Parts: sequence; C-alpha cells; structure tokens
Amino acid sequence: MTDHEAPASAGTTAAGIPLRPFYRPDDGSRDQDTLADPGTYPFTRGRLRPPDARPRGWIQRELSGEGSPRRSNQQLRALLADGALGVDVIGDNPTVSALDPDHPMCVPSVGTTGVSLCRKQDFIELLAGLPLDRMTLSHSLPPAFALAGQYLAGPPNGIDPKVMRGSAIQAPIYSEDCSYSTFLPFAMRMRLSLDSIVFSLREMPRFHAFLEDTYYISDGGLNAVEEMSLGLLEIREVCRRLLARGLPVDSFAPRIAILVNCRMDLFEEIAKIRATRRLFARMMREEFGASDPRSWSANIAVHTSGLTLTAAQPANNIVRGALQAMAMAMAGVQGLEISTFDEPFRTPSAIAHQLAIRTQQVIQAETNIGAVEDPLGGSYYVESLTDELECRIDAAVRQIEELGDVDTLVESGYFRRILTGAMDRHSSAVQNGELRIVGVNEHTISPEADRFLRDIAEERFEPDYAHVERIRSWRASRRDAPLQASLERVRDASADPAADLMAPIIAALDADATIGEITSCLREGQGLPGDPFEYAARRLPAGTQP
Amino acid sequence: MAISQFLVRQGYEVIYLGRFNTPERLAAVAEQEDADLIGVSVHSWEFLAYADELVARCRDLGIGLVLGGSVLTDRDQADLIARGADAVFGPYAHEAAMLQQIDAIVHRVRAGDAATRPFGPKDAGLPGPLAGRVVIVTGAARGLGRAYTLELCRQGAAVVATDVDEAALEEVVGAARDTPGSVHAQACDITDSDAPRLLLRTALHRYGQLHGLVSNAGLLRSGPILRLDDDDLRLLFDVHVTAAFRLLRVIGGYWRAEAKAGRAIDAAVVLTTSSAGLYGFRAEAAYSAAKAAVAMLARVGADELGRYGATVNAIAPVARTRLTEWLGERTGDPADDPLAAEHIAPVIAWLLGPGARDVTGRVLEAGNGQISVPGTWQPGTPFPLPPLMSPAAADALLPRVLDSATPPAALLTSQIPADASHASFG
Repeated sequence: MTDHEAPASAGTTAAGIPLRPFYRPDDGSRDQDTLADPGTYPFTRGRLRPPDARPRGWIQRELSGEGSPRRSNQQLRALLADGALGVDVIGDNPTVSALDPDHPMCVPSVGTTGVSLCRKQDFIELLAGLPLDRMTLSHSLPPAFALAGQYLAGPPNGIDPKVMRGSAIQAPIYSEDCSYSTFLPFAMRMRLSLDSIVFSLREMPRFHAFLEDTYYISDGGLNAVEEMSLGLLEIREVCRRLLARGLPVDSFAPRIAILVNCRMDLFEEIAKIRATRRLFARMMREEFGASDPRSWSANIAVHTSGLTLTAAQPANNIVRGALQAMAMAMAGVQGLEISTFDEPFRTPSAIAHQLAIRTQQVIQAETNIGAVEDPLGGSYYVESLTDELECRIDAAVRQIEELGDVDTLVESGYFRRILTGAMDRHSSAVQNGELRIVGVNEHTISPEADRFLRDIAEERFEPDYAHVERIRSWRASRRDAPLQASLERVRDASADPAADLMAPIIAALDADATIGEITSCLREGQGLPGDPFEYAARRLPAGTQP
Repeated sequence: MAISQFLVRQGYEVIYLGRFNTPERLAAVAEQEDADLIGVSVHSWEFLAYADELVARCRDLGIGLVLGGSVLTDRDQADLIARGADAVFGPYAHEAAMLQQIDAIVHRVRAGDAATRPFGPKDAGLPGPLAGRVVIVTGAARGLGRAYTLELCRQGAAVVATDVDEAALEEVVGAARDTPGSVHAQACDITDSDAPRLLLRTALHRYGQLHGLVSNAGLLRSGPILRLDDDDLRLLFDVHVTAAFRLLRVIGGYWRAEAKAGRAIDAAVVLTTSSAGLYGFRAEAAYSAAKAAVAMLARVGADELGRYGATVNAIAPVARTRLTEWLGERTGDPADDPLAAEHIAPVIAWLLGPGARDVTGRVLEAGNGQISVPGTWQPGTPFPLPPLMSPAAADALLPRVLDSATPPAALLTSQIPADASHASFG
C-alpha cells in the first residue's frame, strides 16, 4: 500500500469484526421491518412498552451480599437508602456451590465474597424489612434454592410471593464449567431449572423465572459473539424442554430475561444488545410460534465487566464503569449493575457501592441520555455493526446446534473448552499487549506510587466464624424426625425422573434442612456420593487434561 | 486455568482437577502421576485453610507448590511464601516470569533438591545470575553461538536461538535440556529483512519480554580485493553489518517503547567484531572492513540505545570455529584447548548480566587464554596545517606527522600462532 491510498481497514472490534475508517448511508439496515420504532417488533430499537409511555429509565442495582444474612440485610438497606431500585444478592463461594458454611472445606471462606445462605432462617433474615413489593430482587445463587428460600421468606416478612419481582439465574448448561459449580450432573441441573421455572411461573408470576446470565459465562474472556450465541443456545434449549413439558410458549417467554456483559468496546456492546433484541424477537415469533408481543420482547439487564477492571490503579475503574454504564443507558437496557472499582480485589465495599449507584444516578439525572429512546439508532456504524453481530451470533448458534444434542456437548466438555480457551486467549492478549489496558500493559506506574484507593480495595472482609458457630449450634436444635422424613422425600424425588423437585425442596427447607443436606440427597437419589468432594473426585478422574 | 493452558503450550503436561479439591486429593493425584509441582488457583481466601497442609504434603512428596490468583495482595504473597510455597503469583504476573520460576522449581524438583531445601522467603530466589533474562542469540547452532547459548542457559537465561541450520539448532535445544534455563529454537536467515521482527515476536510470544541480544551470526567469503565479486561482497556486509544494524533498530525500538511505557528494561547487546576488524587481516579486506564497521556500530549504538536502558558492547572472539578452519580441528576436552569457544561464553554472559550494567560502548578481545581491551582510534598529536600548502611544504610536513604517530599493528595472517596475542579471528 502506498502512502496516498486511503487505508482499507481500521482494525477490528473486540470480537474481531473488521472495521472501516468510517461508515456511509448505505451501510446497515434501513428498512422499516428491521428498524421499526422502539417498542415494536422486532424491537431492535427498544423493548416493548405501553403506548405513549415515556422512556422509564432502568433498574439501578449493585452486586451485594457480605458475611452473615443479618449483616447483608444492613448492606441491602444501605443500598436502597442510597437510591438503588433493586438488589442483586450474591452468595459466598460455599453458598453458590450449594455447600453449608460449616462444611470443613468451607469455613475459611464463609461470608468473604458474598452472603452465607444455607437455611430458611437465613433468607428470612436477609430479606427482613425490605420493601419486596416495590423493589426487584435478583440473585446470583443456585436458582431452585434461592427461589425456595425467597418463597418461604415472604410471608414471615409480610410479603405475598405473588407480588415479588426480580430474577433467578438459570444456567443448567454452563454452571459446572464456570465458577458456580454445584456438583450435580447435567440432567439434574436441568431438572432443577425446569422445575423451578415452572414453580416460579405459578407461584411468583411477576418474577423473571428464567434469567439467562451471559455475564458470568463470558467474563472469563468470551467475546460478544460467543457470549450471546451461548446465551441464546441455552435459552433455546430450556424453551424446547419447557415446550416438551406441555407449557405454551406464551406462558413462559414473557418471564425470560437476559443479563449480559458489557466490556470496553462500547459500540460493539451497544450493537450486541440491539442485535440480541432482534434475534430474540424473531426466534420467539418465527421459531417458537409465540403470539404475545410480551414473548417477543427481550428484557435485558447488564452487568459491566469485572474482567475489564484492573487491580492496578483502581481509581481508573471508576472511569471504566461510568463509560460502560453510559453506553448501556444508550443501548436501552432494563437493569444495570456497575462492577465497582474494588472488584478485582473483593465484593464491593460500602464506598464503592455508593459510588456505583451515584454514577448511575448522575447518568440518569444529569446527562439527559435517557430522554430519547435508542439515541444511536440510524448511526451508519451502529446499524451496520448491529446487522453484523446479528448475523454472526445467529450463525454461531446454528453451528453449535448442528454439532448434536446439548447433553452430549456438555458431557464431552465442549463448552468447557470454549470457556477455558477464551480465558487463555484473553490472558495472552493482555500479556502480549494486543489488548491494550491502561495501567496494566501501558501507562503503568510503580507499585509504590499506586496507592490511591488501594487501602479500601485491599481491605479484607474476614471469614464470618461467628455465623459458622451459629449454624453449628443450630443444627443440634432441629427436630430430627420431620427433618429426616423431608430429606427422604427429596431423595425419592431425585430418584424418580418424572417427579417434581421443587415441592420436596421447599418442604425440606421449611423443615429446617440445609441447602447442603438437600443437595446431598439430590446426589444420593441418583446413586452418587452425597458429599460434593467425593462426587468431584469421581466426576473428574485424574489425568484429565484442561 | 489460563496459566495451565500456557504451560501446556510450553510443553508441560498439566493435569487439571477443577475446583474444590482437598489437599489430600491433590497430593494423591500428584503422587500417582509423578508430578513435579502442584499449582493452586486462588479465587478467594479459602487458601488460608489449606495452605499449611498443602505445604506439608508437598514437602513430604518432595515436589513444588505454586499458588496464583488475582486476589492475592503483596501481603498475601509474602505470607504464603513465608508459609513455604515455592512461588506465588498475584494479579498480572508476567507469563515469562511465571514460566521462569516454574521452570526453575521443576528443575530443582527433578534434581532432587526440593525435599531438602529449607523452605522460606529468602530461599525463593532463582538459580543463576541470568535467571529471568530472555536473550536472542544469532548463529546459535554451532561454534561460538552454541557455546554462548549453553552457557547462558547454565546461568538460568531463556534463549531464543536462531540459525539457518534448523537441525543443528534442535541439537542445541537438546543439549540445554538439563540446564536451569531454556532454549527456544527459531530458524531463520538473519539477512532477511523480516528476521529481526520475527525474532523479537518469537521472544515476546514465548517469554513475554526480551532483555538481551547476542549478534553472533557470521560467515566468511575470502578473497583479495581483486578477486572478491559483488555477490560475496554484498553477502559479507549483509550478514555482519546490515543484519546487526537491523537487529539494533528493531529490538532497540522495542526497548524504547518499553521505556516510554515506564517499564525500562535492563537490556544488553553484544555484537561480534573480530581482530580482523580491529587490526586487519591479510587478503580479507572485505571481511575486515565489515567487522570494523561492527566495532563502530557498538560504539555509536551504545550512545543511542543507552537512553532506553540498553548497553551495547562488542566482542572480538579468538576461537576455533568453522570460520577459522585453519586453526585446525578441535580436539578433546575444551578445558585443554585454549582456543575452544566455551572459554569466551562466560565473558558474553557477564556482559549480559547485572555486573556489566555500567559497561557500554566497549570492545573486548578474548580467547586463546587471554582477554584484553584493544586500543581504539585516538586523536593523534596535532600539527598546524598551513593554508593552501605547497607540494614542497607537504613533502616536508607529512613525513614528520606520520613519524610522530605509532604505526598500526601488523596485519594478521593465517599462520597458527604459538604465542602471538593477535592470532586469529572468529
């Protein structure tokens, strides 16, 4: 190429879509069928809303949960007092893996990276006094137990489960290959998902029973195309199985929501959300035959990527979160969580929580970004990118579906290879500087100079040993006969592939069984070792390559 | 996970056990599989519970223990080292640095040192003065380049070795296997204009960074001026001068970029000149001129790259190699042969190491049992130059000027010396 020729390329997006230096009016869709007004099929430009309604903004929430349920309850109250419109509760490591805090392998991590929840009383204490009818409650917890706990915690707090709003993450396909492993076989995870969705549709009709969480599967380093293709694949698989149970598509499709990631290639992330709305609408209407417009319109929430945040110069993360949140406000999302500046070190500190909520409030109240829907609609570039992402995501979904049934793909480690390959790719890109990260592979400063906000970021939440003791002494106080009988029913239900799991799980939790005990019975009903560590050893024999 | 994939790429066999393993199970699998090292990825603070037991079990087995995780603060890392871990990696640990440490631990374990080694923070250091240094050596397949590569490896360095002879390079990789360092072979023709970029890319891809260059590749096209044709002339200058220049330009550019990004590297270059380039060699005018150019390249390069943290020196080796066949066949143990290439290698290693950070722009002549710094061009005693000097005045003045100066050293010849210091060239 000689110097006076115009460059043909301007690099690529983070997902590898080739870019041109600028875009022209003939780039990207212009037809009314594709780019109908916001709120109309195929919803490229925005979700369904009541006619004549003004844009409503989004649900502002932050990841929360720390220590005991009581302590976490205080944290949730502080967030709501700061103006959060919803909460997202994450369990500590044992809790997200359905292990009890007094399990010998769990004690040192109890409460350190989330709230410890293992019994009905924990859920009651966590939600005590919260206005559950006026806020949304999302959780990053094993869904069947979270729904059961929330269902049981409503009445003691004076709340009818029928009015509860929020969402439960259903991740039967990928959870074992990410950081939320519950040490249950795929078939059992899928049963728990389907049963808990059916339960939630019936008993908590305002709740999003099926939150497809592409955030956590993608935050190891998947790109936008991989993220959404895996997400849509799981939605399709769960939908097919719900249909096979005889549920009409319009009975559950409106209760599906998607929680996506937002990395730093902001136009690509915006286009991804627009493309996802379109793909979801067409899939629901044309493939699954949904006829209710509420079934076609995807409800999308966003969690800004923790992977884009850096341990170096943590203050820079505040800037990253603000940029990502602004982009997502322009994409027209229904809910937004900003990963806080201390994310590389810990679950959010109080000051980081407040800063993240304030960031959202500044965007909403001061920038006027929310005044007009889809402000970027019609941008030659954004429309072109939306089309390209739609095409690539769709092709990727078809490609995986052609490989065979999902059960086999899960068991053969197909998805694990995608996820670990992405981690490796990300790590290499950071190491060799292909992925530029300020403060990490460029514009670095010495560790001695890198002190600003570090004391907060590195402040450590000590394991909550008192809570472990509380659980230990409480165990002995339980009435044993009804407890054992309820656990036996869980075991029996597990052994019977046609049985519903939710009723016995709720009954057992109500009889003061712990989540760890219930999960052990689910394993035992399948002829597996009850203890997850024995199960893990059997599942992954030595010699397995990554 | 990313580190295990990285290690697999580097040729390690990795057995990945997933989450939630007990120290007991890790140790059992490690023993059954005859592992050299257990690596633990830390996501939160549960490591507090099992760190001590893991250390104890690894000591029992005589194997290494490495922990890594982005949540590990400096304080955690120090704590885990104090408890007995062999290495701990925090956020953004550099792949090259991790690989170096893991290589070193595995090496120590295989040598049987792990069990007897007293655990503790002070002992987590690395063997060899060049541990952690990544160096490109050109012309590494044979002779001096091979000797340099093996010595750098013995001192712990990671070497990207290049040569046109791919098979011979592989032999060097094999010969370095039992050293604490490592060799990555990258065959290429150093006269290709893309070669320096390829080598830099290889080093960064394989080890993540680059600290040193030994530009050693050379060849000989003999012939008096009246007989040396253009092809040979071009080849001589391409290999010795142009290739070295391009390496300095490309690698110097990388060091400059690192320095500008606030990560200045303690870098070092050793170029290869020759006594032919310093004193001249009979009937080798082109070779001598090319090698003289390299000496000056080191001199000026030192000034230019010094501002980015790099030293540039040149070596004039005196050794028995393919370029010096007239020195005769190599015989027996190098220890008994003063002309063996192995004697020069420690000089190169020193120039690349921490002891030579202040040494730059110098030429060293080494081999045949001695080492010296040759005298360089110096301004002579000045005489007044009369304006518009007449032929008669020139006749009178110039002999006096010339007589006042020390005459140049005698040209070298290919007579095998018994004792002469300016004996040969490499």
